Amino acid sequence: MTNNENKKSPIARRKFLQTLGSAVAGGAILSVSGGLMYRAKRQEATLYWQIDPQKCTQCGRCETHCVLPISAVKCIHANKVCGYCDLCGGYYRSNVKELNTAAENLMCPTGAIERQFVEDPYFEYTINESLCNGCGKCVKGCTSFGNGSLYLQIKRDLCKDCNECKIATVCASGAITRVAFDMAYQLKE
Amino acid sequence: MKKLLIAIISLLFAVTVNAQNRFPKPDFESGYQYPDITYQVPHETAWITVDIILLVLLMSIVAWATLKKRTHKPVVAVSIISVAYFGFFRSGCVCSIGSVQNIALALADDTYILPLSVLLFFILPVLFAFLFGRVFCAGVCPMGALQELVNLKNYKLSKTVTAMLRMTPWIYLIFAILYAVTRSSFIICRFDPFIGIFRMGGDLGLILFGALLLVAAVFTGRPFCRFLCPYGALLSLFAQVSIWKVQITKRPCINCELCHNACPVDAIKPPYDNKIKETRIKGVKRIVNYFIVFLPLMIFAGAVLMRSISSNLSRANKDVRLYDMVVQHESAPQDILSLELEAFYGQGGTIEALAEIYNGIQKDFRLYSTFAGALIGLVTGFTLIGLSVKRTRKQYEIDHANCVACGRCFEYCPQNSLKQNEL
Repeated sequence: MTNNENKKSPIARRKFLQTLGSAVAGGAILSVSGGLMYRAKRQEATLYWQIDPQKCTQCGRCETHCVLPISAVKCIHANKVCGYCDLCGGYYRSNVKELNTAAENLMCPTGAIERQFVEDPYFEYTINESLCNGCGKCVKGCTSFGNGSLYLQIKRDLCKDCNECKIATVCASGAITRVAFDMAYQLKE
Repeated sequence: MKKLLIAIISLLFAVTVNAQNRFPKPDFESGYQYPDITYQVPHETAWITVDIILLVLLMSIVAWATLKKRTHKPVVAVSIISVAYFGFFRSGCVCSIGSVQNIALALADDTYILPLSVLLFFILPVLFAFLFGRVFCAGVCPMGALQELVNLKNYKLSKTVTAMLRMTPWIYLIFAILYAVTRSSFIICRFDPFIGIFRMGGDLGLILFGALLLVAAVFTGRPFCRFLCPYGALLSLFAQVSIWKVQITKRPCINCELCHNACPVDAIKPPYDNKIKETRIKGVKRIVNYFIVFLPLMIFAGAVLMRSISSNLSRANKDVRLYDMVVQHESAPQDILSLELEAFYGQGGTIEALAEIYNGIQKDFRLYSTFAGALIGLVTGFTLIGLSVKRTRKQYEIDHANCVACGRCFEYCPQNSLKQNEL
């Protein structure tokens, strides 16, 4: 090594390392984005958190664990599955003495279920979504004693689509997963 | 009536839980119509397109302002827009910082389908970092922007403390990737300190932590970006070798120290005259020794250490916790089942099927923990070597890995305020 080369070397070496680093970084960006882009186009991505009503065990954590002050999980009522019973397992607590609207008789803690007489002996039930807190007590009642027409779903217009759903991390039955757009609601018909 | 009720209730209890249609569909005689309730899924595509366009636009503005114009003002404007739009309006998800985990999971697991928007959120800031430096950090990232906007003073920590604290983002990143690829948890999202502030609600502890970070950010620049942000760590790699780099001034440096004092992230290194005169060849030999003896030792130690605690780490995974609960229950059955066990037995789960999943996760954890440990060793080793290397500098130099391109130094540089013809 001549003296002249030795003097020049630090700059040249740094520049060489810099170019090498740039090449590696550029290559990494190209390969990662190319590979993932190819795969992203292959299938529709799963972006929406939703509850599978078949798996849900109404543990009650949807009410308490959502990042929103009032959970984005709401009770949904499938009228076409409902039996329109007078003694509704979702509306009344078990062992009620009288079928009236006294709060101690009702399952819903917020009074979100509205009951309307249709014709003898049928009653129509409607969920007032603004009152529902997603606790799933009515769902448990309806699933155990009735047709299972009440069930929990994440309301897509309320959900913030967190990258990690906080309810999913504590969901006892693993019912909350990411689904594709056409599965964004899993409705009972 | 009462008797009838009791009869109905006892009948109900007799029916199995899973049975549907216990009651037949009613035959309405009054001409009752089923109410027509439809549930719409709001199509997010339009908003995501706006997000991506704005992301590119804001990063371009910062790149233009810092590289071409050398001014700070547009960066402030970008910060305000970003905090308002990405922060408060879009309330954070999905962000580039969190997207690291989705990318890691997608690379490790073929079955995970990555949304294109998440890929763009991840790759665009990396690409811009590769071209122009950390222009994303400057003000496009709502978290960085929020800290930038509240910052008033730049109290500096000592060099060693800063170097040690700068290891945390790397370790955070490594753990985030470890937990993401094993499908355990997205810890970056779970412990995001600012999301609660943007959403004005959420976990109280994290909001307090976020508020504390903001108070700290008033007195020292961007504590989250420097000492916690895992994505910033990743971007720093690309910024170090970026094609175009921020320059404080086009004119020669006069060593006035003003830029160094103005820098909120301590990314401008002062001139340094090495007191210990070591011959060049001796210095090179010392560094080479570090790299071939010390570094592999650190990597090996890290790998062994992390592998040995992999089964403890795996308890972050839900299925592993469930398996432990089931095993405990089978060995000593309890009367009151926890909600998880109730759900597990309710769905007809068997311990054999669960054990298979459990073993798979344990295997994954053993493999990935070893890699993670090696990387932690590498990061620690590099930090320590970096502390022992003292490079002679004749003037103030930007450390491009740590520079977040906020552009505060430009207006402090007296050379920049000279008129064109004054030189």
